[in-house]
Amino acid sequence: MSACTVGLLVGMAIFAGVHRAVMPQAWIETANPRTVHIAGEFIESNLGSAVEADGSVTVRALGQQFSFTPQCVVVPSDTPVTIRATSADVVHGFLITGTNINTMLVPGYISILPVKFKTPGEHTMPCQEFCGLGHEGMWAKVKVIDKAAFATLAAKQRRLTCVE
Amino acid sequence: MKTEERLFSWRNSWFSLSLGGTAGLVVLSLIAGFLVLPYATPNSKLGSLWDAICSAAGVPRATAPSEQVAPTFKTSAVVMTSQMPGPTDTRSVGRGATLAMQCAICHASGRHSQPDTPNLEGQPAAAVYKQLRDFKAGARVNAVMTPFAINLTEQDMIDLSAYYAYLPRQPGLHPDAGVPAPAIVIRGAAMRNIPACSSCHGGGEVKAGAPWLEGQSAIYIKAQLQAFAGEHRRNDISEQMRNIARRMTAQEIDEAAAYYASRP
Repeated sequence: MSACTVGLLVGMAIFAGVHRAVMPQAWIETANPRTVHIAGEFIESNLGSAVEADGSVTVRALGQQFSFTPQCVVVPSDTPVTIRATSADVVHGFLITGTNINTMLVPGYISILPVKFKTPGEHTMPCQEFCGLGHEGMWAKVKVIDKAAFATLAAKQRRLTCVE
Repeated sequence: MKTEERLFSWRNSWFSLSLGGTAGLVVLSLIAGFLVLPYATPNSKLGSLWDAICSAAGVPRATAPSEQVAPTFKTSAVVMTSQMPGPTDTRSVGRGATLAMQCAICHASGRHSQPDTPNLEGQPAAAVYKQLRDFKAGARVNAVMTPFAINLTEQDMIDLSAYYAYLPRQPGLHPDAGVPAPAIVIRGAAMRNIPACSSCHGGGEVKAGAPWLEGQSAIYIKAQLQAFAGEHRRNDISEQMRNIARRMTAQEIDEAAAYYASRP
């Protein structure tokens, strides 16, 4: 009986791991929260979605008291996307509703998530870790748009956002 | 019944089997965790075997250099922490007082400050220091202020901010303590992605580098919010103020400005 239970639990863990229901980060990268705005990949002009040489998309985002930059993230559907995000001050949460994307932005470290959005649509991206008095006002939007529409946008700009 | 067989002995098959099994499991896990899985991860870009082991053990990796998009305008290069701009002494305050005589044309003490300039008395030192640095570097631009800031040295800016932080806060231009705080100031508008003003600008919390707003002129506050919203002012680090101002309605901007101006 107990062997069955253990077997079931191990099986569930393996299934969750293989199907990316849990997303442990595979390696660690660091970023100095005090100087992210001055140099490196998280400077203001480098944030947003970038198309890589292999056709995948990298989204760079920053969490700070009390907003995400960019405020609106635009990504293509059915395309491998790598999210790279960090915090400029305290621990923030990074969650995209309607998906299993959920991690934390810890100052000093870069959160890296390989994801894929199946269908176009709109999601909210609230900070899900209490980060101070303005926490409840801290969220961003994620717009998943058609692959072709994204390619049209990407031809005009090197970093894409949907901030209005 | 007592057996003569020794427990911790390789001749005890239970002992050797369980120990051997555990050791085997450890070796298997090490191979899986440190060698197989690191290479199995997509985009892991691992070099040597040693890299894979270090990476799995949690040794921070250097960010792979990628092409970056440089800003088309000057952004703030001030490193902002709650300890900024560092401890000050009375000599610094004294030097700041002398330097501040040139500022008094517009930032006069008392109630004579002009409506389009901020009151500086009692401002957190970090707030004054950051704006001076940004004016000097060109991250914030103002036809009147820029020529003054360009000639300031690093020590001048520390002294000036120490002096203004040392002064007692002045009463507002039009004190009217009876006005209730509008929602945008005390609660923000969470449904529209706007945190409350008071979560950074005093009242609730003070964020490092944020100015104190109570008693400021309504004209000045409104002009700055509109400048942030319209991307005319971009020296807020990583868009922290632009993100908020562009979400505010014209009415909310008016309410916040009027409320802060009415505070004693």
